[in-house]
Amino acid sequence: MESKRYKRVRRAAGIASLLSVAVTVILGLWVTPPDVVQGQLVRLIYVHPPVAWVAYLAYGVTSIASILYLWKRTRNLRWDLLAVSSAEVGVIFTGLTLITGSIWGRPAWGVWWTWDARLTTTALLFVLYLGYLALRRVPADSHQRAVRSAIAGLIAFIDVPIVHQSVVWWRTLHQGATVLNPSLSPKIHGEMATTLLIGFISFTFVYIWMLMQRYQIADLEQRVLDVELEQLIKERRNEPGVGSSQIESTEDVDNADQPSKV
Amino acid sequence: MVQSVSGGTGSDQPANSSKAKPRVLPSRRRARRAWLTLGIVVVAIGVLLYKGLGNSLVYFRTASEAVQDRAQLGNRTFRLEGVVVPGSVHATGTGVDFSVESSNVFVQVHDTANPPQLFQPNIPVVLVGHFQGNIFLSNQIMVKHSANYVAAHPDRVATVNGKKL
Repeated sequence: MESKRYKRVRRAAGIASLLSVAVTVILGLWVTPPDVVQGQLVRLIYVHPPVAWVAYLAYGVTSIASILYLWKRTRNLRWDLLAVSSAEVGVIFTGLTLITGSIWGRPAWGVWWTWDARLTTTALLFVLYLGYLALRRVPADSHQRAVRSAIAGLIAFIDVPIVHQSVVWWRTLHQGATVLNPSLSPKIHGEMATTLLIGFISFTFVYIWMLMQRYQIADLEQRVLDVELEQLIKERRNEPGVGSSQIESTEDVDNADQPSKV
Repeated sequence: MVQSVSGGTGSDQPANSSKAKPRVLPSRRRARRAWLTLGIVVVAIGVLLYKGLGNSLVYFRTASEAVQDRAQLGNRTFRLEGVVVPGSVHATGTGVDFSVESSNVFVQVHDTANPPQLFQPNIPVVLVGHFQGNIFLSNQIMVKHSANYVAAHPDRVATVNGKKL
């Protein structure tokens, strides 16, 4: 069950998310000035890049958890549950990145969408991790599914640095990085920069809270499966005419979704 | 009335949870749906790679490159990039006429679409269209703004006795 400490940390992350997002909204909408070129449109910068950063972060966590599962010394089904939890949050934030980018692009560029490298690789990232989540739905036992999806998650992660570097490697309509640019000199002024930083921090809190919430659900789902499995075995054992040898023979079927191998 | 923990609260709810169908064994339907979703994802990845390789690798040609490759480009549609030359912008009935510049090479543009709100002199733009003679006929203007953010009114807060600091 959920430990008290876990609950406390999760609640703290939730409160921190609420407060910091509120501060971002106030600073972003009222305190910060309009941009000299973009005018009021600049306010989307306090949402769009932080949301994209969370997607990167989430897939990073999925990758680390996947490696920890694949590495025999640290293998534990909990890493797999963490990987999928983070990937799900990542997919939501990649979707939000595409939506907020599109909303920004229409007035700023004049188009909702264009096939430049940044946009295309981001859409690819979204679809790759949707594929990761779909792959997990393909029936397999827990271990097999964990290995399969860990490998898929790591392959999909290759796209993350490509998305980030796309504005450097190719010609794009999308602008280059404002903060994490090749010369590492932020090209944003004063309180706009501060608000952007607070935006990054606040969406990171949101990520932590969502991840903890999702992990808890994954953990509970696993427990429900275990209980149901036990019950099923018990029921089958009680069926008339089913001997212990027959139960043995159905083991490969019962093994599905059983975490006992780890 | 005291209800038992395992008992249902409503009359139409199954009272005994053991009657609920176990979900342990993956049904064939579930498997089919998973494979179908994966199939759709694979197709989507294919489409994105195709679109990406077709468009993103050379997303635009700069004005100077386009002039250099003028003969080869013919009247093919492509994306042209350049900075809007100040003083060259004239609104027409349907769009706008202007020139773009890159590496000191100028291209005259006749645009037939509504320019986006950030369209202005000195801003880099990407135009979709084709050459006709030496004029580039554009049917879409996209503004390529920079990654620099500067406050529009740096003096709006700093006033003492009505004087700017």
